Amino acid sequence: MVMAGPPIIEIEIKDHLFYPDEVRIPADTKVKLLVKNLDPTAEEFESYELNREKVIAGNSEAIIFIGPLSAGEYPFFGEFFPKTAQGKVIAE
Amino acid sequence: MLLNAVIIILREVLEAALIISVFLALSQLLNRKLGWMLVALIIGFSGAYLYAVNLSAISMAMEGTGQEVLNAVLHSVIFLSLLIFMITVPHQAHPMWRRINLVTIVLAVITAIVREGSEIILYIKGFIGIPDLLSPVLMGSAVGAGIGLSVGVFFYYLLVNMRKSHGIWLGYLILLLIGGSMVAQAVEFMIQADYIAATTPVWDSSHFISERSAVGQLLYALVGYEATPAPQQAAAYFSSILMLVVAAGISFMFRRKSS
Amino acid sequence: MKSIRLFLLLSLLATITLVNFVALLHGYQSSMEKAQSLFDSRLESTARLIASANSEQGIQQGIAEQQTPYTYFQIWDSGGKQLLTRSRNAPGFVTGELSEGFHEVNFDSYRWRNFVYRDQHLNRWIVVAERIDIRYSLAEEVVLESLLPIVIAIPVAALIIWIAVGVGLKPLRQFADQVRGKRADDLSPIHLDKVPYELIAVVSNTNALLGRLDDAFHREQRFASDAAHELRTPISVLKVHLHNLKQRLGEGDEDIALLKAGIERMGHLIEQILALYRTSPDQASARFERLDLYKLAQNVIAGDFVNFERKQQAISLEGESALVAGNRFALETLLQNLLSNANKYTPEGGEIRVSVRPHAESVELKVEDSGPGIPADQYLRVFERFYRVHGDRHDSGELGCGLGLTIVSHIVELHHGQIRLGPSSLGQGLAVTIEIPGE
Repeated sequence: MVMAGPPIIEIEIKDHLFYPDEVRIPADTKVKLLVKNLDPTAEEFESYELNREKVIAGNSEAIIFIGPLSAGEYPFFGEFFPKTAQGKVIAE
Repeated sequence: MLLNAVIIILREVLEAALIISVFLALSQLLNRKLGWMLVALIIGFSGAYLYAVNLSAISMAMEGTGQEVLNAVLHSVIFLSLLIFMITVPHQAHPMWRRINLVTIVLAVITAIVREGSEIILYIKGFIGIPDLLSPVLMGSAVGAGIGLSVGVFFYYLLVNMRKSHGIWLGYLILLLIGGSMVAQAVEFMIQADYIAATTPVWDSSHFISERSAVGQLLYALVGYEATPAPQQAAAYFSSILMLVVAAGISFMFRRKSS
Repeated sequence: MKSIRLFLLLSLLATITLVNFVALLHGYQSSMEKAQSLFDSRLESTARLIASANSEQGIQQGIAEQQTPYTYFQIWDSGGKQLLTRSRNAPGFVTGELSEGFHEVNFDSYRWRNFVYRDQHLNRWIVVAERIDIRYSLAEEVVLESLLPIVIAIPVAALIIWIAVGVGLKPLRQFADQVRGKRADDLSPIHLDKVPYELIAVVSNTNALLGRLDDAFHREQRFASDAAHELRTPISVLKVHLHNLKQRLGEGDEDIALLKAGIERMGHLIEQILALYRTSPDQASARFERLDLYKLAQNVIAGDFVNFERKQQAISLEGESALVAGNRFALETLLQNLLSNANKYTPEGGEIRVSVRPHAESVELKVEDSGPGIPADQYLRVFERFYRVHGDRHDSGELGCGLGLTIVSHIVELHHGQIRLGPSSLGQGLAVTIEIPGE
């Protein structure tokens, strides 16, 4: 069996919004999120449900490992612009 | 924007203010000079600034896990400082131990400011280019910093004005909780960077006290509360507190015997 | 707690900050909620307005032109398949879902809050949307304006508290200044302009204590000097009787010699006690004059020269003339005491060196001898009253009562000088160095 790395899912931050704002991932699997911040301002990817927090500088990208997660919804948000930067991970 | 700024700044300031006020109070209760504090503040903020401006380079280092590793290191440094502080306190009479003790305090304060300060700097810096949002953010930051510093002031005077022995014990207790919280956060960062395999949480108390709630945020700052901690995190939290207690206890008993 | 003022400032400020900011956050939150519900109801009424304006089957295209960039609307047919009309900036697709109520969606780089209204008569969906960030910043602008004074008030409060606490603590500071400023011998009561309630007991008790101390001090002084004075007469009488006794019994009697020595010793003691009290600060400080310490030393040496000659001691005076402000009688007593000590404890044929040297701020007087000296650990004790090196087993066989250096240190203190004991440069003897501020 060939060991592949965890699947990579890309999320972009633009104008303080997440694209896509809904990320569907398989349940009980580790996933690598590649978050690209296209804004000039820093953003902090934060999720209480996922126990993740990572500051992403302006115009740069960051890698965040999540999971394995049991099926369900896990909201995340941009801590610096939480009014607009909202999204969720759906494990199914 | 204001509320958000308050929460972000308050969380960071509260954590740093707690460490600083407890150390300041203990320094005074242990008859130490307080002049080192200013030096530690200056070095701490310089370090925080360096961290903030080099964030993207740090993040991309070590295959994209540089930020997690650095944060885990900073938290571990605070924990180790606390550990050595607790071990050296009973041997104050010895000049070398006394010096090491002072170094650990200064190191812990500097590290705490680097860690918490960098996030504050990054956050506020981002809004300088957005004039519409700058004023609510600055006002929120002022409110958050004001509340955090006020709590720090209260903690300091509470400890200093208690009976000396009680003050020292309460200070130790807070340091224990801070120590546990530091190690738990370090482990969380190692999980996030995938150096430690993630597993399902040991418990889920988010229905009882959500981490989003004000109480949850306060508990997070005070005792490192997590609603859904990984088993390694919980184990690290409790074992590090136990380690501090045992190390401090052995050191204290050793002093009794040798004197 | 290091400073009451700092404690009061910081704890009051922290209380005000905490209470005000928590109230501010509460006010902010409820105002923002209120504003959001106002915006929501406006959105709702806009939807109804659009519905009523398009109540005919036909669609009035004109309204589409009147939209701002922060809002848009769409009118969909019942199935949501066909877009009947829309504002210019509205998307051509369904944002979110077509179910009645409020929804939040991402579109065109912004997050929007939309209200979907179902027009029952015409079986249409009317979607009205507003940009969330604009709603927030509009509301925030209004709310912040009203909350800003609370934040600005904090530094103002800090300044006022700092000043108020300073004023409140002024009597305490005055009290501390007066206590600190007191000279060792000043036992006069402490006087404050206004004594606050909290300090009444402190001030009155301190003053009562000072008064009792002053009385006791004076009583002791008066008693000692009176007693010494009263003892002078019987001593003189004793001397006369001794003289008569000597005439009768002849010179050679040993008991007579011992008696004579005893009486002389008692007489010396009484003179020294009188000198001690005559040189105490409240007696002597009134009569200060300009004096040349060098000349004074010359006179005293000349006056006591017989004593040195008798023991064949070499005495020398070095240095130059140096002016000081001082009490003539006191400084003479000081020199006499130092020289008599040197004379007494230096063996026959020994050497004594006196020097007077003016420095920038002070004048240094040094008396060195070639006697046995004093062990360094007893330097401080010799200034105590009636203390004698080696106690009563004093082997010098010299007349002395242990008051000499006590008197010397009194006089030095009176002149705001300093006294140091140290080893002599003439062998193992003692060097007494005195520094008195220069004129």
